[in-house]
Amino acid sequence: MAPTPDWVKQLQPSGPQGHELLAAERACSQIPVEKLSELIHTKEVLDRKQRVLNILKSEKVFDKSQNYFAGRIDRFEAALARAKKLTNLRIKHGWTLDEYRTANELISEPGPYGLHDSMFLVTIDGQGTEEQKEKFLTKAEKYEIIGCYAQTELGHGSNVRGLETTATWDSASKSFIMHSPHLTASKWWIGSLGKTANFAAVMAQLIIDGKSYGPHPFIVQIRDLKTHEALEGVHVGDIGPKFGYNTMDNGFLLFNKVKIPHHSMLARFSRVDPQTNKYIRQGSPSLVYGTLTWVRSTIVMQAGSVLARGVTIATRYAAIRRQFQDRDAPEWEKGENAVLNYTMVQIRLLPLLAATFALHFTGKAMMNLYQENQKKMNAANANTESKRGPGPEELGAGSDSLADLHATSCGLKALSSTIAAEGLEVCRRACGGHGYSSFSGIGSWYADYLPTTTWEGDNYMLTQQVARYLLKSARTVISNPSAAATNDTTAILSNYLKRSEIGCAFDVLSNDTDIVQAFAWRTAFLTFEASKHRDEQKKPWNDLLVDFYRLSRAHSQYMVVKNFHEALESREVSSQIDTPTLGILRKLYRLFALHTLEQEGSEFYASGAVTVKQISLARTNAVMKLLKEIRPHAVRLVDSWAFDDWVLDSSLGREDGKVYEDMFYRASELNPLNRITVDPYPTSSVLFKKVEGEVGRSKL
Amino acid sequence: MMPDFTDHLKPRYDGTATLQAERAGSNIDVDELAHHLLSRDGFLERQKKVVDVLSRDPLFKKDQQMNLSRPERYHLGLARAKAIQRIVRREGWSHEDYKMCEYVNDEMSPYHLHMTMFVTTVREQGSKEQQAYWMPKILNYDIIGCYAQTELGHGSNVRGLETTAKWDPVKKEFEIHSPYLTASKWWNGAMGRTATHAIVVAQLLLPKKGADSEGYESHGVQTFIIQIRDAKTHQPLDGIVVGDIGPKYGYAPMDNGYMLFDHHRVPKLAMLSRYAEVSDETGAFTRLGHPAVVYGSLTFVRGQIIMHARLVLARAVTVAVRYCTIRRQFRDRDSKSDQDEEMKVLDYPTVQIRILPLLATTFALHYTGELMYNMYNKSRETIEKGDFGPLAELHSASSGLKSLCTMLAADGIETCRRAMGGHGFGGGSGLVGINADYLSKPTVEGDNWMITQQVAAHLIKKMTEAVKDPSAPPKDPTTELFQFYLKNRKHRIPQSVVHNSQIDDKAIVDVFQWRAADLSYRAYQARVVEKKPWTKLMIQLHALSRAYSEQILVTTFYNSFSTTTTSTLSGPTPSVLKTCFRLYALYTLDTFASSFTLTNAVSPDSIPALSDAILDLMTELRPHAVKLVDSWSIPDFLLDSALGRSDGKVYEELYDLAHRRNPLNRVTFNPYWRDEEIVLGSGDGGRGILAKL
Repeated sequence: MAPTPDWVKQLQPSGPQGHELLAAERACSQIPVEKLSELIHTKEVLDRKQRVLNILKSEKVFDKSQNYFAGRIDRFEAALARAKKLTNLRIKHGWTLDEYRTANELISEPGPYGLHDSMFLVTIDGQGTEEQKEKFLTKAEKYEIIGCYAQTELGHGSNVRGLETTATWDSASKSFIMHSPHLTASKWWIGSLGKTANFAAVMAQLIIDGKSYGPHPFIVQIRDLKTHEALEGVHVGDIGPKFGYNTMDNGFLLFNKVKIPHHSMLARFSRVDPQTNKYIRQGSPSLVYGTLTWVRSTIVMQAGSVLARGVTIATRYAAIRRQFQDRDAPEWEKGENAVLNYTMVQIRLLPLLAATFALHFTGKAMMNLYQENQKKMNAANANTESKRGPGPEELGAGSDSLADLHATSCGLKALSSTIAAEGLEVCRRACGGHGYSSFSGIGSWYADYLPTTTWEGDNYMLTQQVARYLLKSARTVISNPSAAATNDTTAILSNYLKRSEIGCAFDVLSNDTDIVQAFAWRTAFLTFEASKHRDEQKKPWNDLLVDFYRLSRAHSQYMVVKNFHEALESREVSSQIDTPTLGILRKLYRLFALHTLEQEGSEFYASGAVTVKQISLARTNAVMKLLKEIRPHAVRLVDSWAFDDWVLDSSLGREDGKVYEDMFYRASELNPLNRITVDPYPTSSVLFKKVEGEVGRSKL
Repeated sequence: MMPDFTDHLKPRYDGTATLQAERAGSNIDVDELAHHLLSRDGFLERQKKVVDVLSRDPLFKKDQQMNLSRPERYHLGLARAKAIQRIVRREGWSHEDYKMCEYVNDEMSPYHLHMTMFVTTVREQGSKEQQAYWMPKILNYDIIGCYAQTELGHGSNVRGLETTAKWDPVKKEFEIHSPYLTASKWWNGAMGRTATHAIVVAQLLLPKKGADSEGYESHGVQTFIIQIRDAKTHQPLDGIVVGDIGPKYGYAPMDNGYMLFDHHRVPKLAMLSRYAEVSDETGAFTRLGHPAVVYGSLTFVRGQIIMHARLVLARAVTVAVRYCTIRRQFRDRDSKSDQDEEMKVLDYPTVQIRILPLLATTFALHYTGELMYNMYNKSRETIEKGDFGPLAELHSASSGLKSLCTMLAADGIETCRRAMGGHGFGGGSGLVGINADYLSKPTVEGDNWMITQQVAAHLIKKMTEAVKDPSAPPKDPTTELFQFYLKNRKHRIPQSVVHNSQIDDKAIVDVFQWRAADLSYRAYQARVVEKKPWTKLMIQLHALSRAYSEQILVTTFYNSFSTTTTSTLSGPTPSVLKTCFRLYALYTLDTFASSFTLTNAVSPDSIPALSDAILDLMTELRPHAVKLVDSWSIPDFLLDSALGRSDGKVYEELYDLAHRRNPLNRVTFNPYWRDEEIVLGSGDGGRGILAKL
């Protein structure tokens, strides 16, 4: 294609320029962006990001400009090159784990070392004996072996007990035989397994003498350390392209009676005695549920920032994009209206903007709770641990704050990742036609984030755990109504019982604390309804799943509203930020809460927490008023999330507002398709007449 | 690939047997229902004929598509577009057959715009002479066209377009020009690399009238047919910069383009002049009548969009229903025996509640699409004379319906995909491509949120008329409804649609209609009586448009039981369709419960009964789910889904795709970070991939 002619280079967007528009937006709000950024991220994290970012930007291999164009194999090859370079840089600059994680976050694509760095190391560390750690962990930390975590199978996801891969103890040779008896036993979806890993932590059914002892972890070598070919009897490969995550080699793995040594089974909590061939359990891995809670809390916290990326892009673009003249605008007022001034755009974006903060503060609170809990648990570890059953739902409810935390984290994980995933798609659509372009930067981000809604517990499946916990708490409260509450859940349940005869009257439209109360009330109401169905009317569990889903959702929404409110009332926040900004954050709180309340209106009404009139007022008055009040601060609020343009990788979301210039640049200069000249006529079988440079070889 | 030990492995549960058992468990006559749904214009036979030919041609094999890069996808798209033309000629196929090729090929073809917007615009807006000149070239593919309307800075608002066409009274030519970067044409399909010609929509600038006036003034947008590339070299003509806009969320095979003009001159004949002309002598602008016929065909197009939406949704539901009967997860919690097998996930209400209401929705969309077709066909003759009769009403409703139906389908695909758990995310789900491609629908041709304003404006007008003269003889069902509403609003008793687990179908129709009428009245109050600003009302108006469209879907579905052949279907089919009607309606009612209670349509106390009623309806529908999706007759070739295969060989196909048909598995990589080489044995120090960045 001919180089861009001068007359094109000299063209500018019409009307007010993007940077002028964003400057005007920023001028109409006094929010101190840096201060608010520090409140969200802390100064330490912001500095770290900047430091790492400068290094990444200077390396060609991290250049993102071809990401949107490349095919699957090139995407994977680039990702592997990046993973290697990153490991080099980590050594070179002596990065801490936090700095290494920051780098991965800034690159924001899943990489082939992803599962080695996380689940593989964690599993050996958490479930291996000291000798096993010595044997595997040391090498793994130096990347002399590269691992992955192989749990899910072609036919089984969430239900670990249903796994089909077997590890059969062979007393003659004192070894385990790994085997895949069915096609559906194939390990599937396993990150880093497809092409990268030479070791795997494999979850398999342990079988001794014909008896099954349930799933256990085994460290198995799968590829040769030199040739990188699969070992004899091992069948392994990549599962193919996906909706997103195409830089990751998610893999499959099958065993044909592969013999592995006795030390392969991670034996911190249970082992097979090679002398007696007996199964021995030593302690129980309840700390593992702590890890799960930690992972889920991280997901909650990240959900805020994941969503904030989409909201940043959509908000900035909506401030620049103009469409139609205002129907009511006077004749003399020329020019089209910025779409961010349309209430119809505001109602889609601003509640999501509020949700970014709501999720952020909730995640932070969860994290704090988790850490406090870890301390307590470690202190009391020795004498309480052995009394617990194997599953978190078996933990004694009511008296135990870990149980509360675990259940809460399940529900919040489901709610927050759903809000973030769906919110991103709303942001993309709110960008109109250009949202559909890869250069919007939202589509691929959404596609890569989507698996979060199904992994670490499918969002629908998880809600059962929350319901189970709430039901149990309800039973405790019903059986002893006068006992003192032991945690927040029992507190809201017994409060409801106490007041159920006199009712409630929450002033949700003018009192922030009453909003929290109303959310608590609705949760308690739904809990006792569920309890009535299950415990009194003995309805089948299966018939109640939809109710449980709603119950979990209600409880999690309550948690978000409560945590957001508490954060804004805390010294920690008020000491860091000026009063007007705090006022705006409170408006975001109200917007999030009242918008949710209005959406779920019929449950609030049915519980008696609010009247139909209040719901109607929330919808037509309160929410509309909040939109208007928050609108002028929208751009500064997204600015405070502090995404670098390099990270956003979006034409529409650029900090400097040069939306159209960047769209045009990427299309005309970076786009390899424009180096092709075609023969367009159907009568000719020639497709590409001329190709400049390397564009992609024929693969048909 | 070499044979290996995995060749003989079988899945733990036999998917084929599972689907067979599902089919045996329902007495629905699939062929009969399929004909009831899909016999219009010989759809089923045509689908079979075309699939037979395309599926035997290796060029139309779909299993490598997701591995390809963007340039490769375009390459493939162009090859297929050309091949389809040759096949159509070889087989002597009609235009309908050609459209079926595009449908089952299931990707946006680089020729798509040529045979749609390009040819239609020339046909509808060209003068007789222009048609005589261009039409043969177009139909023979001597030129390849596209349609260039939207610009970088402008989408829905046509009046805001920035490209200009300035009349030169001396040379009797137009000068096409792009004064700003935002004037660049953008998103226009087939323009990026393929087209030789474009319909360009531009502001017509004519010299100002009057002896002492200078400069130019705009006469609104007009359409021009312009050559953009050389017929031999295929290079852009002088003064034109044109190219592909780059990758998108979907539509990979389509070369959506950008285009800028630098004082590019075209002859006077370039302006399509059936309805408007610039005089040679005086430079005067004359309008020649109004393009009224377009109005009728627009209704037809929207009818088609709804019919397409139902098939798209049916496709997603087909995959989800079949896979969810084969996929098993956990034993029933109440089960007492260790020997019980794991449950089919479709037996979980949490899965049912996501999929079965969507299955019901496919039928709801169907009857409304049918209604639009029938009304259009019946009144075709009067329309062409400019009398729209009953269609006028439907036309104004159709923008709202289009918005609702495309959104239901787009969201429905994603809901189905997620309901399938992890495998839904995989390429083998068959919902990845359709999801990405279909998602453009809610924004193209007028953002769904923007066009709903038209419906609201129309309803406010109707309500204003009804308030003014509440006893005038009603011209159409809407006026009739509004008059009924106005008569009864003072003494309305909110209804309940479920009494002692009995569902009242008439009451369902009543509450949907009442809610739509009440929201119309509120909008009228706010806008006409209280004079509230339009932008402040937009959210409310959007909700109104949706409620009104839902009312049409529900009413039409209900009426279909008496006005169509539904009741004559054999076996359990009529009653299963009734269940679908109820499920769609009650699910919608439950989802928007507060809107129904706030409008006094439904009494708040009756809401809690809905969940149980919905659960019962899903239990009724569940045994027929597989046969109902079978009736939509989506061929495996089109489904392109391991999870949704009609023979149930889900796991075999997933494994085969991953293991034997995955190009990534033909490469061995070097995983150690100390080695710079990426592909094992390449020894290139990582330079291979670096060169591509």
